[in-house]
Amino acid sequence: MRQRRTLLQRALGRDLEARADALAGQMGDGYDCFGASADGTARALALTRGLYERWFRVDSAGAHHVPSTGPVIVAANHSGTLPFDAAMLHADLLRRTDPPRLPRSVVDRFVPRLPWFSALVARAGAINGTRRNVEHVLATGQLLVVFPEGTVGIGKPFAERYRLQTWRPGHAELALRHRAPVVPTAIVGAEEQMPILARLERFHAFGAPYLPIPLVPFPLPVRYRVRYGPPLALHRVFPGDPRDPALIRAAAAEVEGAVQALIDETLAAREGVFR
Amino acid sequence: MSRYLLTGATTPIGASVIRHLLAAPDTERILAVGNEPIRPTTVEIDGRVRYRRLDLTRERNLRELLYGPCREEGVEVIVDMAAHRRFGATGPRARALNVLATRRLLDLSADHPSIRRFVYRSWGEVHDVGEALPSLVDELHPLDLSPDAPQWVRDRVEADLTVCARMAMSRLSIAVLRAAECLAPRTGSQLHDYLGAEVCFRPMGYDPIFNLISEHDLGRALALAARSDAEGVFTIPGATTLPLKEIIRRSARIDVPVPGPLMTPLYGLRRAVRGTSFDYRLNRGRLHFGVVLDGQRAKRLLGYAPEVTVTFPKD
Repeated sequence: MRQRRTLLQRALGRDLEARADALAGQMGDGYDCFGASADGTARALALTRGLYERWFRVDSAGAHHVPSTGPVIVAANHSGTLPFDAAMLHADLLRRTDPPRLPRSVVDRFVPRLPWFSALVARAGAINGTRRNVEHVLATGQLLVVFPEGTVGIGKPFAERYRLQTWRPGHAELALRHRAPVVPTAIVGAEEQMPILARLERFHAFGAPYLPIPLVPFPLPVRYRVRYGPPLALHRVFPGDPRDPALIRAAAAEVEGAVQALIDETLAAREGVFR
Repeated sequence: MSRYLLTGATTPIGASVIRHLLAAPDTERILAVGNEPIRPTTVEIDGRVRYRRLDLTRERNLRELLYGPCREEGVEVIVDMAAHRRFGATGPRARALNVLATRRLLDLSADHPSIRRFVYRSWGEVHDVGEALPSLVDELHPLDLSPDAPQWVRDRVEADLTVCARMAMSRLSIAVLRAAECLAPRTGSQLHDYLGAEVCFRPMGYDPIFNLISEHDLGRALALAARSDAEGVFTIPGATTLPLKEIIRRSARIDVPVPGPLMTPLYGLRRAVRGTSFDYRLNRGRLHFGVVLDGQRAKRLLGYAPEVTVTFPKD
């Protein structure tokens, strides 16, 4: 007898349903210590499907560089006024890793204060970016996703697009300490989705650092390009005390250089913002 | 170690500790102390348990207990769990039991002829909770030292730090167990009281994760600590990790999200009218930001890992 498919199953489609099932097989039917659940991950896949496939038409390459097991850090550029780039990268990793791995995307510290959104992203696998949380993710061999530019990157003026902002070195220290490879990742397209007009610096609702005023009320249907580079074994390139600030800065600069090179390469090959 | 003094023995967790200690064949004697007229059931079924009703807030009683029955029985380990469970218990008398009794027990044990170990049952609620703090709580997590914290929290933090301050300064071997919330009646669980109402109000837009421990697991953790030599602080997680909405659903209650500012008056009114214990001020952080205890150290040094999940009415 043919069983009726649930709304979630229909929203996912056959291919994504199979991936969601594979993830559920790994995660079980409970909630992990950060609140992620298989059901929440499936919902995230369903919610981002329209944006990923139809609106931003994400073109992804190099996901095979993400190791299938063990601790790994995916470090990407951050832009676009609102974090659609993070959502697309999270969805891309859920879709492209083989076997599917749950990305633990680090969110800024004010995000847990945002009603509804905080619960949604936590169920999908996001974690608050405190040291203890990220240390646990790597110590348990999971896939950590970081945006070393943070809110500075996402709120940068349009004139500075595709130029990396202050590249914070925390991810390099983590990589050295946990001997985790870093996969440099470029996201191209997000810079043009929603150019920022102004930032209201005195507006701090829910602890947000500022209120962005975008040029358009919703993201433009730009084409996203996600490129993963070969993993960097920083602990081999930079042997020594992983607490040494100079070593950490040098390792972070290595990742920054690799991400910038991927961005430049992808931009050079791009035929248009919307194509 | 095979001879124990257990304070707070008449609580369900006290009974669980007694059961776990009795399960060890080398346990010779358990001196159980409580302030209730009834004796724990386990006293009647096992001759190794002796129950004494005692007001621990009186220093003379403590002195007589430790240098009377404890010395006679050769008690080696104190498991201190006595605390006012009701949130409404405030003032000097509550503090006398929550903090001063523990401090005096430590003072009196320091040069006691037979006592060698002190295990203190602390609470997960002593941890600070906030959006900028880790959601995974280990032994190094900051404690809630806010001056605005209610006495229920302040007393527990003070008692916890009082015991911690004696570590390595006393000849006693000391362990502090900061345990996850035990969702059971008569355990001081705020969440249990919260779920006692048919309708559970929840801050709109938030669905924090909770880690809950069963009576069985908490009793086992305390018994393992009593029998071990491991010193220091241990966070003790439970086997149940669920978001609040799911806890409300499994408890067969009605989940009603309300704007955050309404939570204080609603639960203040409930407390005033129904005489219940749940206080939103105490739980504001936990009802917004989830925390889960990390039991790695307890697993490594005490051999404790959570086993039994909490049972809900709808399970």
